[in-house]
Amino acid sequence: MPVGPFGIDPLIWAPLRLIIAVGLALFLVLNGALLQIYLERKIQAIIQDRLGPYHVGPFGLLQTFADALKLISKEDVRAAATDGWFFVAAPALVFCPMLASWVVLPFAQDIVGTNLNIGLLYLTTLGSMTVLGIVIAGWASNNKYALMGGLRSAGQLISYEIPQILALVSVVLVVGSLSMIDITRSQAGPLVNVLILPFPFLIYFIAALAETNRTPFDLPEAESELVAGWLTEYSGMRWGTMLALSEYGNVTVVCAIVTTLWFGGWQGPGVDAIPLLGVLWFTLKVYAFILIMMWIRATLPRLRIDQLMSFCWKGLIPAALVNILVVATLALAFPTTKIPIAIASWVLVVLFVAGIPFVQRRRLRVLRARARASAAPAVRAVS
Amino acid sequence: MTFDFVEPVVFALLAIGVIAGGAAVVLLSRITAAALLMAFTFLSMAGMFVLLGAETLAAFQVLIYVGAITVLILYGVMFTKFSDRPRALFFQRQTPLAVVFVVAVAIPVALFSFSFTSAPPRPGGGDLSALATSVFTDFAFPFEIASVLLLAAMVGAIVLTGRDDPEEAARRRRR
Repeated sequence: MPVGPFGIDPLIWAPLRLIIAVGLALFLVLNGALLQIYLERKIQAIIQDRLGPYHVGPFGLLQTFADALKLISKEDVRAAATDGWFFVAAPALVFCPMLASWVVLPFAQDIVGTNLNIGLLYLTTLGSMTVLGIVIAGWASNNKYALMGGLRSAGQLISYEIPQILALVSVVLVVGSLSMIDITRSQAGPLVNVLILPFPFLIYFIAALAETNRTPFDLPEAESELVAGWLTEYSGMRWGTMLALSEYGNVTVVCAIVTTLWFGGWQGPGVDAIPLLGVLWFTLKVYAFILIMMWIRATLPRLRIDQLMSFCWKGLIPAALVNILVVATLALAFPTTKIPIAIASWVLVVLFVAGIPFVQRRRLRVLRARARASAAPAVRAVS
Repeated sequence: MTFDFVEPVVFALLAIGVIAGGAAVVLLSRITAAALLMAFTFLSMAGMFVLLGAETLAAFQVLIYVGAITVLILYGVMFTKFSDRPRALFFQRQTPLAVVFVVAVAIPVALFSFSFTSAPPRPGGGDLSALATSVFTDFAFPFEIASVLLLAAMVGAIVLTGRDDPEEAARRRRR
């Protein structure tokens, strides 16, 4: 009799692993959003020297559950001027691709919805579909703030998709596979990909912050400028689905991609002995990146739209192209060893980080000269 | 118990999706609805690719057509000034001519395709490395020609939409 993983009959294991994967996905999407909102509020409170939620439950742990109950019990309000079907369809269009992308996230050795051989391509594809829902939401709301938010979002997401995908491609070049499982397997032991390819990781993480509408790139829903951007007209559970579930779900997906591609996915001490331990390692790593994203949110101010675009098109995309050129050349020149790629990638990181203050200083100098020349009291926006 | 009946059913649903979606894109007068239905048509076609075993092509179909092109079309629609005629028929004003063309093209194509006797496509086209190798070796020249065409289109779009704004020119001179 053939024995599958964990000594279970494969005939039982095949449906069982699906159930576990779907259960984990739903658990992480629904409860993960609640937990992440709580963490977000608590962490920002700590950084800003406040208390944060502390009334409901111990340490305010039940606060977001209470908020969710409030959202569910709210009346379904819709402005008369909104565009019927589109307005209703938009939250679904944002939510469905996010939920579908959980199919290929490898939680542990054999705990994955399906091992697609184009897993990474599938994830980027679904990530690019979110934009459609956001644009439709902005359009259907028939509200100028929502429309502006939707347009900003379309421009931002389409632009930042390019460096994001280019950064992923360099990892695929080194690993030689698009399957999330194979990518994880290739990083057994302490030598994870981030030590070999830190530069694409940097590019991906910055672009991912923009793709998930996180500060400092949260222009589509800039509260101080656009009320709530494309979410302005939504309330109740539609708002909850769009903002809480989809946004935090996307954050989790992006962090899971980072974990899988650069930090060894489920691999960690003791995984070979107890495969289920992989779920713990995977979740811990994913939440570590979510915490970093929240830390960034509490630290950095929001960019202006022209700064956002010029940073992407003049900074990130050239950097990503240089990175892919270097990685591809070195992978072709040294097919057996990864050391030259690692050295080149670290050099690029140093150049990128050291180059930012230099470019910034030059920009400031140009700005000041221009302000003096025009003798205008207000400093015009530099492109 | 076999599941052989699933594939034709899925194919029929997808085919209905493609044809109905495409017809609605042309016939609807609401341009945003047409754009959204175009995305739906592209998604159905991606489903057809999956059915044929070409998952890679399906993924690229969704990535490029749904994720980028439809969004760019919506972007263009929202930036176009059409508040005075939000439901005007922009493109479909040549119905008789269109009917003649469709009949002239569709009937020979249909006759030709029904007399097709090649073997049905084999599944297993999801191999990305084989696809990439053929694109960058055997079909490198068409690939490059296509990118030059896109570049020319982009330059043309920039030239066509570049305005001679006197205020902007004055500001640039001040700099």
